[in-house]
Amino acid sequence: MKLNVNGKDFEIRNRPGSVLLWVLRDELGLTGTKVGCGAGICGSCTVHVDGVDTRSCVTPVTQVEGKRVTTIESLAQPQADGTLKLHPVQQAWLDEQVPQCSWCQSGQMMTAVAFLAENPHPSEEQVVDAMSNNYCRCGCYTRIKRAVLKAAEVAA
Amino acid sequence: MATENKKRRWRLSRRGFLIGAGVLGGGIALGYGVGLPAARLKIAEVMDSGIGQPVNIDKGPLVWIDIAPDNGTTFYIPKIEMGQGIHTALAQILAEELGADWQQVHVIQADTVHGPVDSAGTTGSQSVSSMWPVLRDIAANLREMLRAEAARQLGKPVAQLKVMKGFVLVDGASGTGAGSAEGQISFGELIQNKQGAWEVPKDKPVLKPMSEFNIVGQSMQRVDLFDKLTGQAIYAYDVRLPNMAYGAVARPPTFAGKLRSAAKGTAEEQPGVIKVVAEPDFAGVVAETRQQAAAAVTSLALDWDAGKLWQQAEIEQMLEIKDGAGTVIQNDGTGTAMPANDAVEAGQMIEAHYSSPFAAHAHLEPQAALADWQPDKLRLWVGTQMPALTRGDVAKAMGLKEEQIEVMPTYLGGGFGRKYGSDVAISAARLSRAAGRPVHVAWTRKEEFQNGYLRPPTRHILRATLGADGRISSMAHLQSSGEVANSFLPAAMTAVMGADFGAWRGARLHYDGIPNRYTRAQVASLPIRTGWWRGLGLLANVFAIETFVDELAHAAKVDPLEFRLQHLPAGAGPDSTSERLRNVLMGAAKQAGWDTPLPQGRARGIACCTDAGTTVAQVAEVSVEDGKIRVHKVVSAIDPGLIINPDGVKAQTEGAITMGLSSTLFEETRIENGRVSADNFDAYPLITMRDTPEIEVVLLQTGLEPHGVGEPPIGPIAAAVGNAVFALTGQRLRTLPLKLV
Repeated sequence: MKLNVNGKDFEIRNRPGSVLLWVLRDELGLTGTKVGCGAGICGSCTVHVDGVDTRSCVTPVTQVEGKRVTTIESLAQPQADGTLKLHPVQQAWLDEQVPQCSWCQSGQMMTAVAFLAENPHPSEEQVVDAMSNNYCRCGCYTRIKRAVLKAAEVAA
Repeated sequence: MATENKKRRWRLSRRGFLIGAGVLGGGIALGYGVGLPAARLKIAEVMDSGIGQPVNIDKGPLVWIDIAPDNGTTFYIPKIEMGQGIHTALAQILAEELGADWQQVHVIQADTVHGPVDSAGTTGSQSVSSMWPVLRDIAANLREMLRAEAARQLGKPVAQLKVMKGFVLVDGASGTGAGSAEGQISFGELIQNKQGAWEVPKDKPVLKPMSEFNIVGQSMQRVDLFDKLTGQAIYAYDVRLPNMAYGAVARPPTFAGKLRSAAKGTAEEQPGVIKVVAEPDFAGVVAETRQQAAAAVTSLALDWDAGKLWQQAEIEQMLEIKDGAGTVIQNDGTGTAMPANDAVEAGQMIEAHYSSPFAAHAHLEPQAALADWQPDKLRLWVGTQMPALTRGDVAKAMGLKEEQIEVMPTYLGGGFGRKYGSDVAISAARLSRAAGRPVHVAWTRKEEFQNGYLRPPTRHILRATLGADGRISSMAHLQSSGEVANSFLPAAMTAVMGADFGAWRGARLHYDGIPNRYTRAQVASLPIRTGWWRGLGLLANVFAIETFVDELAHAAKVDPLEFRLQHLPAGAGPDSTSERLRNVLMGAAKQAGWDTPLPQGRARGIACCTDAGTTVAQVAEVSVEDGKIRVHKVVSAIDPGLIINPDGVKAQTEGAITMGLSSTLFEETRIENGRVSADNFDAYPLITMRDTPEIEVVLLQTGLEPHGVGEPPIGPIAAAVGNAVFALTGQRLRTLPLKLV
C-alpha cells in the first residue's frame, strides 16, 4: 500500500493489524515520533493526519491510506545552507527552554501546531484545555503553556 | 552528626592524566583515569551523607577533552542526559575553566569505546557536585599546558599570557579573543604547530576565581535541545542498525511467577518470526517487526507457576512498625531518645501516623536496548543511568568478560531511578545471540507497570513532646519502607548498613533546635521488587516530618513559618544547614506573601527540607473545588550552593514540584492477586497541565561549591500542599495521595 508521509509517497507492506506508529518509526525510520503507552493516552505518539492531531499508536495504517501524514521531522524547514529553520512552535519551545528529557515533546509540539492552526489566538484556558491530554513526566507543563502562548503571539 | 555539607577533597595525581591524539582526528585529547570521588567514600561516609553510590572503581578515563585544529572543542561527558541538563552544566564547568569559546563547544555522551566509563552512574543528584572539583582540575591542567605551549610559540613568558574564548593572548595585546590578531593564537593553532612536548604541570594549577566566571552562573541554552526539538536526538528506543530485528519476551502472569517449562508451541509458524527462544528460565521471539514479535510470544507453549497470589493487605502487614525493630539512624541529644512514658500519660505527647503508597516511575520512554551479538564481542545501545553496572550485569548474565562488551548509553526519555538498563539489555543480548542479528527489545507500558520495580510504600509514626515554652523538647520518627537501595547492593554491604539508606533518605529530623531527636528506620523485603525513585525516600519522609511539624505548630498555636524558624538556631554560621533552611523558608515566604491575606477560599501551607547538600522551602496556595484539592501556586526557594545554570536549576525545581504534585494528588497503585493493579495510565493517571499550578522559583546561593538539584525540590511539596489544605479546611491529611473526606 501507499503512504504519504511528510509530502513523500512511500510503498509499504500491508501487514494485517499494522499500526501507523510502528510503520513510521521502524519501517520509515522516522523515530522523532515517540511511544509512551501504546493505548492513545499519553500523547507522545501524536502526528497529523490531514492536519488533525492523531494518536499514531492506536491508528491502523489502513486508516491513513490516501491521507497526508505529517510528523515532527517535517516541522523545521531546510534552508539553502543546509541548516534547519525551526517552526515557530519549535522556536518558542527553544526560547522557553521547554524540554527536559523531551520524549513527550514531539507529541506536545504536534498537538500545539494542530491546535494553533484551528485557534490562532487562544486564551490561556483554551491552551490548558488543548494541552491537558498530553503527559509530560518531567513536569514541563508551565513552560509548555508559556511556549504555546508565545508561539501564538509570534504568529499574530 | 553530619547535617552539614561535607567537602570532599579531591586531588588528581599527576600520573593519572592520559594524553593522546584527538579522538575525532587531529588535535589533542586529555583524559583522566580514576573513578569518581564518591567511589572513595567508605561505607560509613556513604551512610552518613545519606546518598550513597555504588562502589566500584574502574580504570577508564573520567572525561575526555578533545580540541580540533579548527578550535572545535568536544567534551566527552560520562554523565547521562535524562532531561536534567547535565551535559550543559558539566560542559559549562569545563568550558569556563579551560577558557574555551562556548559557541565552539560540542558535547558527546561518553561510551565505553570513546571516553570514560562512569562507575558511579547518574544518580542521587550528585553529578554536578561530584564532578565540579574534578572537571575544573582537569580543564585547568589542559589550560596550563596550552599556555606553556603558547609561551613557546609566542616567545613570551607564561605569566604574560591569559586565556580567553579559545585563544591564548599576550596580556595587554589588542586581541579580542576572536579572529587572528597580533599576539594571540587559538587553541587549535597551538596544537597544530606544537613545538614542545605536552607536559602535565607539576603543581596543581590555580583555578579561575569566581569573580572571573562568565559561563558558570549563566543560563546557557541546553546543548541537546535543537536535536530533541527536531526529532533527531537518538534515545535507546530509536537506535537502528542495518539488518536489525525486533524481540519480545514472555512474561509471567504474576510477579512471583516462574517458568515451569517452556516450549516453542506454534510461535515459529507465526508471521515474520525469525527465531524462537524457549529456555528453562527465559522465552522470547525475534521477528521482522515489533508487532509480529509481540504477537508471536502469545503462541509459545509456556507452563507458568504463578506462585503466591499476593494481596495488598499482606504487604501492609509487612510494613507494620514494630517495637524494637529497625536501625537507629539518628539519636541526637541528651535525654531519652523516645518521649518518656510519663510524658505520654501526662498528655503532653503528640503522635501521628502517615503513609505513602506504591508508585510507578512512569518515565515516558519505556526501557529499550539494541544488542548486536558478534563472534568476539557484544555491542549494546541502551538507556541506562548506570552504564558500568549494566555492562557488569550483562557480562555476568551472558558469560562474557566486561572488556568484550561495548556499551553505548543514549539519551534517556526520563530516568527517575528506573533506567537501570540491565534487564532489557540482557533480554536483547540473549535474543541477538540466538538470532545472529542485531535485536532491539523495548518494553511495553504494561511491562513497565508489571515487570519493573516500584517506589516502595512507607509508614511513619511521628511523636513529639512540647515543652512548657511551646517548643519541641523531643521528637522521634519511626519509619518503615520497602527496599530502595538494598535491592541493588551486595548482601554483605546491606548487612553492614543494617538499614536501607535509600529508604531513609530525608528521614532524619532536620531541626537542630530540637534538643532530642531520634529516627529509626525499618526495612521490609517485600515480595515485589521495589527500588530507586526520584529522591528515594525523600518525598515520603519529608511529607511525614513536615506535616507533623505543622501539626505541632498548630498545637503550640504558633504560625507554622515562625514555629519552624524557632527550631532552626540562628547564628549557626552562614554555611550551616540551619541558616540555609532559615534562608529558604524566609525567601519562599516573602515571595509568596506569607503574611498577606488571601481571597476567601484560599489558604497557604509551608514546608522545607535539606537533601544532597541543598536546602529547599515551598509555599503552596490551595483551594477546594467540587471536593477536590486545587493547587494554584507554588513558590519554591532553593539554595543549591553555587549555581552553574540558573535556568537549569529553575527547570529542575519546576519539574520536581510537578512530579511531586502528581504523587501528592493522584498516584498510587496496589497489589491485587499477585499483580500490580495498574497495567497502563488509564488505571494510573499522572498530573496534566490542568492541575499544574503557577510555579515561582527563588534562587539563593551560599558558598563556593555546587550541590544537588534534581531531587531536593521534590521533598517539601506534599507537606506544603497538605498543610495548606489543613489551614483551609481543618482536615489533616496523613496519607498520600491526599484525599479529602
